[in-house]
Amino acid sequence: MEEKLKAQKPNPNPNPKTNTAKKKKKKSEYEFCKVCNLNHDQGQRHKYFPSHKSSLSNFLSRFQTKLSDVRFFLKNPSPLRPELASKNRFWCVFCDSDIDEIGSSFACYNAINHLASADHLKNLKHFLWKYGGGMDRVDAFRIWEADVAKWEKKCISLKSDAVSSSQGAIGPEIGPLNDIHNENNYGNIDNFENSSIQSVKSSLSNGVMPLQYYTNEYQVSHSGLYEATNVGMFAHDFGSFLPAETCSDTNLWNLKDIRVNRNSQHSFPYNSYSSADGSFSNGRMFQVHEDEGIVKGESSSHGLQNLARISTLAPEEARGNVHTGAPPPWLEATEASQIDAPLKPAAGSLVPLNKSGKSKKLNPKRVGAAWAEKRKIELEMEKRGEIVKNDCDANWLPNFGRVWQSGSRKESRKEFEMEKQKLLKLGSQSEIPIEIQPYVSKRMRTEAGE
Amino acid sequence: MSSYPLTVLTKNQEVDAIIRDTIDKVLVLRFGHASDPVCLQLDDLSKSAREVSKFASVALVDIDSNEIQVYVKYFDTAFIPSTVFFFNAHHMKMDSGTADHTKWVGAFHKKQDFIDVVEAIYRGAMKGKLIVSCPLPLERIPKYQLLYKDV
Repeated sequence: MEEKLKAQKPNPNPNPKTNTAKKKKKKSEYEFCKVCNLNHDQGQRHKYFPSHKSSLSNFLSRFQTKLSDVRFFLKNPSPLRPELASKNRFWCVFCDSDIDEIGSSFACYNAINHLASADHLKNLKHFLWKYGGGMDRVDAFRIWEADVAKWEKKCISLKSDAVSSSQGAIGPEIGPLNDIHNENNYGNIDNFENSSIQSVKSSLSNGVMPLQYYTNEYQVSHSGLYEATNVGMFAHDFGSFLPAETCSDTNLWNLKDIRVNRNSQHSFPYNSYSSADGSFSNGRMFQVHEDEGIVKGESSSHGLQNLARISTLAPEEARGNVHTGAPPPWLEATEASQIDAPLKPAAGSLVPLNKSGKSKKLNPKRVGAAWAEKRKIELEMEKRGEIVKNDCDANWLPNFGRVWQSGSRKESRKEFEMEKQKLLKLGSQSEIPIEIQPYVSKRMRTEAGE
Repeated sequence: MSSYPLTVLTKNQEVDAIIRDTIDKVLVLRFGHASDPVCLQLDDLSKSAREVSKFASVALVDIDSNEIQVYVKYFDTAFIPSTVFFFNAHHMKMDSGTADHTKWVGAFHKKQDFIDVVEAIYRGAMKGKLIVSCPLPLERIPKYQLLYKDV
């Protein structure tokens, strides 16, 4: 591995002179610092440099966010669909290896196992030693065996539940989408179901508030909608079914999870939770897949915990909301007047209106920029037929730095104008012709005189 | 070879107008005798004009005309052909190692020299410089002696 090569000590200084002159400057071979992404010959000193320290903190925090996703699944195991497994890869920076989820039945299965493994721990420690991360942070980047055991138990229970309730077309392969993108959604549902505030708080960070209580309205209103489902969901408490769309299948599992926790005594496999919940949590997914009948508008209004429920179902249904991709109300008015196409940013639409061929902005610092802009405006006004305030007279002259003048150009122009005026004045007077007389020397004069 | 007709300016107002109307392009004003087209186009200025037309416009100024004398004096035009450069109504100077930086005196040895000079002016102007240095080697710069008031 590369790391092992880097672990070699740098060569001692071959040059005896510099050794005596400066002890500190050891010539070392070039190593590659994974954190700073550069080659350096500073050897062991590199990890103490401030630039390295800041890159290290960035580096580790980035990895931490990815780890937090994995930890989420550690707490809330959810099954993983094989088709989506290939998308779920996890790169462990300490082990320099890719951990994919192909063949794993649960989300982040391999990742969790990897993070708990002894090899990973070893690599992690080595990394922290090498890059100076602080050995107290080891625990932040690994998973304890006890946690893994708990997680496995949960997985097993999930599996057994899945097997026992084999009604309908839900086969083992159908499971919730283990999209990392939609992890938040799952988080919401699951946290929702754990009636612990902290889980709610964590889900808050996802930006979506989970439903804290049933919304009977949903069930009532949608009980009739989801009649036939291939899934064969049974809504014991609520008369709603989820359609057996692929995306909704993901909900199934979520709901199942919810059910498991929520009605702790029951073991309803697919208590179709209020569709609102599903739709709410997977609002994005629903919208993407455009499942019909899935509650779209209402969910947003019911999302907040401990807040008065906004019971304006009917009007919202008609208009739709963010989840359905409907335009915001303030834009609807303008939309009607403008194109119906999705609104583009204003800047984009202005680009073709610019002067032809002017793809880049002219340097504002160029010579005479201000004057040019002014002049352009004047020309445009002229084109439009407006009267242009022409403040140039016949005596206008450009600012010209003259040859024999020193000082600024304005000055030289003024000088010239003064000269011009003098000339004009003098022009009226007749010039006294200057006679040029040849030089006559004294001797010549005396000779001429004699 | 198609000759690119260059505008010949004979009046002050024309010069004014062209200086004010050439925006974001180098304006090359060549002073010379209109009666002697050879003088004006010694260096194939018309051909070169086309090549630089994207960032420069060239015009000829006839110093024989009376109305132009103001400009002739203003620009201290002592030699012909003289070429003065403007950008956005600002006069551009070029230091070519000669005595007079305010204009280019003499003809260009090669067409490419002219293009190089105009390009140097353009680049400097776009960067906001009012004086640029000449890109040509010394031997290709016409030499002259600048006399002060015919002294």
